Amino acid sequence: MEVTFAVLLWGVRIAFLVLLYLFLIRAFAALWRAMRVEEAVAAKPTGLAFLVVQKSHSGGPRSGARLPLRALTSIGRDAGNDVVVNDDAASSKHALVSFRDGEWWVEDAGSTNGTVVNGTRITAAERLHYGDEILIGRVAMRLEQ
Amino acid sequence: MIRMQPLRRFGELRLLVLVALLLVTGFVAVVATELASFAPVQPVVPLLFIALAVALHLFLVTIGFRGDQLLLPLMLALTAIGLIEVERLASNLLLQQLSWCVVAAGVFVVAILVPRDLSVLARYKYTWALLGIALLLSPLLPGLGREINGARIWIGVGFAQFQPSEAVKVLLVIFFASYLDEYREVLTMKRLGPLPLPPVPYLLPIILMWGMAMVVMVFEKDLGATLIFFGIFLAMLYLATGQTSYTLLGALLLFGGAYLAYRSFGHVAVRVDTWLEPFAGDTRFSSGYQLVQGLFALGNAGLLGAGLGGGLPERIPVVWSDFVFDAFTEETGFLGGAALLALYLVLVFRGMIIALRAPTTFLQLLAGGLSFIIAFQTLVIVGGNARLIPLTGVTLPFIAYGGSSLVANFLIVALLLRVSDVTARVRGPA
Repeated sequence: MEVTFAVLLWGVRIAFLVLLYLFLIRAFAALWRAMRVEEAVAAKPTGLAFLVVQKSHSGGPRSGARLPLRALTSIGRDAGNDVVVNDDAASSKHALVSFRDGEWWVEDAGSTNGTVVNGTRITAAERLHYGDEILIGRVAMRLEQ
Repeated sequence: MIRMQPLRRFGELRLLVLVALLLVTGFVAVVATELASFAPVQPVVPLLFIALAVALHLFLVTIGFRGDQLLLPLMLALTAIGLIEVERLASNLLLQQLSWCVVAAGVFVVAILVPRDLSVLARYKYTWALLGIALLLSPLLPGLGREINGARIWIGVGFAQFQPSEAVKVLLVIFFASYLDEYREVLTMKRLGPLPLPPVPYLLPIILMWGMAMVVMVFEKDLGATLIFFGIFLAMLYLATGQTSYTLLGALLLFGGAYLAYRSFGHVAVRVDTWLEPFAGDTRFSSGYQLVQGLFALGNAGLLGAGLGGGLPERIPVVWSDFVFDAFTEETGFLGGAALLALYLVLVFRGMIIALRAPTTFLQLLAGGLSFIIAFQTLVIVGGNARLIPLTGVTLPFIAYGGSSLVANFLIVALLLRVSDVTARVRGPA
């Protein structure tokens, strides 16, 4: 009787270690899978959405180009911007496009000539829908998925 | 946060089933060894904890949470190991620890639900900094502060006690993340030879926070918290600027300060001397007793250990709060100890991946800093227990007995989950 209890007890103790490792292996596997997905995502250069250039001019981004947007994208003439609009009428820091709580928003970053959405110059942050057109300097871009 | 359709979280659920099995098996092993002192409350505790785990899982499912599915099971697995160890080492504290789990779960739920948008945290950064400083200094107030075991790091109201430095860690990370997010360009701009030379006014808030950390060491005699604060400060500065020179300079400051503290403060000197020669002369029966008993426990471990419940960890003084790692390793062996460290590794790695994926700099710094807290704390206490570095009073995250630490760590995981949730929503279904 004594022996059986000791054997049982060791069985439980070993079972604890086995479960611990089972959990660890599952957790490692989940981590591994997540990293695989991460590599796949990093491999293809996609944005959350795109600004598709509708109208441009020589020196600016070419018409039809799909510029990828991140959660926060700065637009302007300066090379440090995420989307560079090489146009004399654009300011060096012109506008900010952001994705907040599932909605796209655009706001002017204090530009000289202003940011125009669907033909109206904006004064405050403006909600963007897919298909809306932004005019920065002389470059027109449309928000697409 | 937008409410969405409930989302099934099968990955999380599968892992939680294993956590439940792990907890029950561990409890059976511990209780079976001490059948003589069996109390009817013992089987109830794991069942209540499993109910709590299921409740948290269902809560995330019903609100349509899109965040990570690995963090919650990891957090609960470590907490479950903590409950097993409290039962093993100080079973009279078991119900208290379980109640703290419930409180921590409550804080977790609030942190998931309440800040509609995490950028609120960045907006009130100076509020957090001031709150942190107030909390940090509160134990020094007469009447409110309490001195326990030579360290004045507690505040008490009635019979409930709280260690404010645990909350300060989280506030510090939030403050640094928002501050560095705003000023990191300025901080990397000017250089003097190989050293970056940031304009002094921008450094002031950071230096102020650092000075506060030093106050903790001098007046509250809390070495562990000082080390953690300084570590957070250096790590986040490095994360934000990518400047190795800052880190080197900081490490130099740390070693210089540590040496000065060693020479001028008795309580620091005792820690260091004990660490260097725990077996020397009378040390092993006085200040080194705890450490020496811990080392014997580790040496007793072997590959499989003495078996849960079969070792002699109770020979280490205050084992349930200071030496849980040694106690766990003695009874589960090298295999158990290594698995425990690997669990922390997965948790921290996951947190760092969440930080890398986060859509804004603030969220990246926030998630990186929070993951760093868990990593650094584990390193400092396990290193202390194994005599790799001097022993400091840091808790082993999620496992060591203690309410404030448990609540703070649940809060850290909740915030990491929030960041991963934002990322998942921004990126769309992956």
